[in-house]
Amino acid sequence: MQSRWDIGEPERPTINAETEQLKSELLRLNMGPQHPATHGVLRIEIWTDSEIVAHAIPHLGYLHRCMEKHTENLDYRGIIPFVDRLDYIAAMSMEWGYAMAVEKMLGTEVPRRAELLRILTGELQRIASHLMAFGTYALDLGAFTPFLYAFEMREKILRLFEEVSGARLLYNYIWIGGVWNDWTDEQLNRVTAFCDEMEEEAKKYHELVSMNKIFIERTANVGVFTVQDCFDYGATGPVLRGSGHKWDLRKNMPYSLYSEFDFDIPVGIAEVGVVGDCWNRYIVRMKEVIESIKIIRQVQAKLEPGSIMGKVPKIIKLPKGEIFMRSECPRGELGLHLVSEGPEAKTPYRLKVKSPCFTHVSMLPHAAPGQMIADFVATVGSIDIVLGEVDR
Amino acid sequence: MNTQTHETSSVRDYFSALYDGVTTTIKGMWITFRYVWGVKSVSIEYPEVREVLPERARMRLFNDSQNCISCTQCAMACPVDCIYIASEKKPEGTEIKKTSNGQPIRLTLTQFVIDTALCCYCGLCTTVCPTECLTHSHDYEFSQYTIDAMKYDYLAPDVMAWRDRIVKS
Amino acid sequence: MHNQLAELINKNVLGASAVVNKTEDAKTHASITVEASAIYKVAEFLKTNTEMPFNALQAVSGVDYLEYIEVCYIMGHFDMNAPRDLILKVKITDRVNGNVDSIVKLYPAANFQERECYDMFGIKFNNHPDHRRILCPDDWEGFPLRKDYIAQKTYNGMEVFPDSKSNMEDREYIVRQGMIKKAQEGAANKVQ
Repeated sequence: MQSRWDIGEPERPTINAETEQLKSELLRLNMGPQHPATHGVLRIEIWTDSEIVAHAIPHLGYLHRCMEKHTENLDYRGIIPFVDRLDYIAAMSMEWGYAMAVEKMLGTEVPRRAELLRILTGELQRIASHLMAFGTYALDLGAFTPFLYAFEMREKILRLFEEVSGARLLYNYIWIGGVWNDWTDEQLNRVTAFCDEMEEEAKKYHELVSMNKIFIERTANVGVFTVQDCFDYGATGPVLRGSGHKWDLRKNMPYSLYSEFDFDIPVGIAEVGVVGDCWNRYIVRMKEVIESIKIIRQVQAKLEPGSIMGKVPKIIKLPKGEIFMRSECPRGELGLHLVSEGPEAKTPYRLKVKSPCFTHVSMLPHAAPGQMIADFVATVGSIDIVLGEVDR
Repeated sequence: MNTQTHETSSVRDYFSALYDGVTTTIKGMWITFRYVWGVKSVSIEYPEVREVLPERARMRLFNDSQNCISCTQCAMACPVDCIYIASEKKPEGTEIKKTSNGQPIRLTLTQFVIDTALCCYCGLCTTVCPTECLTHSHDYEFSQYTIDAMKYDYLAPDVMAWRDRIVKS
Repeated sequence: MHNQLAELINKNVLGASAVVNKTEDAKTHASITVEASAIYKVAEFLKTNTEMPFNALQAVSGVDYLEYIEVCYIMGHFDMNAPRDLILKVKITDRVNGNVDSIVKLYPAANFQERECYDMFGIKFNNHPDHRRILCPDDWEGFPLRKDYIAQKTYNGMEVFPDSKSNMEDREYIVRQGMIKKAQEGAANKVQ
């Protein structure tokens, strides 16, 4: 058995002639598993040459809950609470992706109102998740106040979700065939009010953080991923868009009713640094909040009373076969590879979760060499990982 | 692959960066400073002030054992298997009672235990209940010293004290 | 799309013998199975060809069918003009020393994904630069997502699933209800 340390001495990067002359040994440092900047229990073993990171090795598995094995013993409805717990910051999006995969195999038609409500909740969840990303990213870089502003707004979304589904974080709201509960007019009015307020707040955030000189110095030109890097590593979501590639499943391979909606895909531009740096990944998220508000307003114009649950058999049995269903989650593309044994089985034969954060963590060893430790923290924060999804 | 550009900084650049830093920070400080007056606080002083929970809030489970028909649908639907039900047939000739919505109770419930420590509060059990006797109550303060104390036996007499508070009819 | 691609692979890669796994209806996705020995060349072809390129590897997933283990390479093309997905499969019949060539050199995304596949299914990837477990501890025994997996009794002197910590009432209830699944034992018998 190979020891966990026995992976050979990594090559030292040549920083400049001065560091070459100094005979120094690489220092091995553990960042995590309980480091506040890793957003959970991620342990990154970094080899440093004084302040400069020579090599970073992520060690995963501290939050491994065998979710994929669990699902092989659960019926299709009972999996939804487990899927919730993957990305606990954006649980609605996870549920939606899973529900779509089962519905596709089942051939269920989802009523129009249910689809619209799913888009509504999905986009609200995207705003909530990006607010969390905004707050914690500023916190990583040493600014505490934006975190409080972000949570004030996020709380309003969570309150709405609590009223409509009954839970604040792990909703179990999007079911196979539709959604659990209907939204009342009063709640929809509050969504409208929230959208107006959020637009004003977003301007405030830009003044407070995005255009702050200290923030720009910390994030611009740091942790650059080129588009080719993103393709090589399979990165999706804000990481890919921050690198300047216009790719969004909602637009390019529209699922649900997204083809009816009019919105833009924000991509990274060389505004203060270079395309693909931390600042661009951050600003893409903030621009997506505005796009989500646009979508929510269109949903509200389209909403009509109707049924919210399609026809689903009491015991769900899927046909033999497999499916790979992708959906655009706040952190990137969630892919679910669902294999069913045939109509005799009440449980899936295999459910593989392709989580976006797992892919993004694999980019860290590529980004780290040559960075300062503080810049490395900024890079880890900018890809916005949730460890529940990385370790599954 | 990192392009850490160290620009050749002149005195002019130095001062312009300094200026930018100070002005943008003052701008941010001003936004924060406005919170001194007029902006209502959003936090609440928890033990003294309590938020009113929404109607659908999913807190501790409660089973009204008088209305339960022992159909075990909730135990089947539970994804973490935390509901334990046992029942036996009523002897012949006993009177068959009816639940509040008119379903006949044909079995005698002998055990109805929910392990609240295992429960994931997903709400799937309450949706399948045909008599709506299993519901989520609004109690959220029920910490215990031992894990065993988290097992609630809904046939025990002390549950009756809750029942009057939770079951509204 | 799959038929055309399978023809392309057969024409350009020697010994790939690509077969399309068709689906009866539109509810499920089709896939292509190739020879395990040719996977590196097939992946190279898929990445570099001009007719139907795939510029990203999304996931490497495994499915254990007891007779054989299937490794599914899920490719994608992130291009707004021609978005496409592909499930590429190889079959591995050797459950003890099953191995397949690593494609990390072509798609660096395969690094973590193949490590996960090794961790969960015990398939060795030749020429992998960092061939370790990823989610389980390095000295864990067995491969959890195999259908005949039975968890080890002790780990580093610690008991796995100790009776003192498990919920005995839960276990008794399951036994009483006859809900215990004989799947694991059945699967183990099938293999022997």
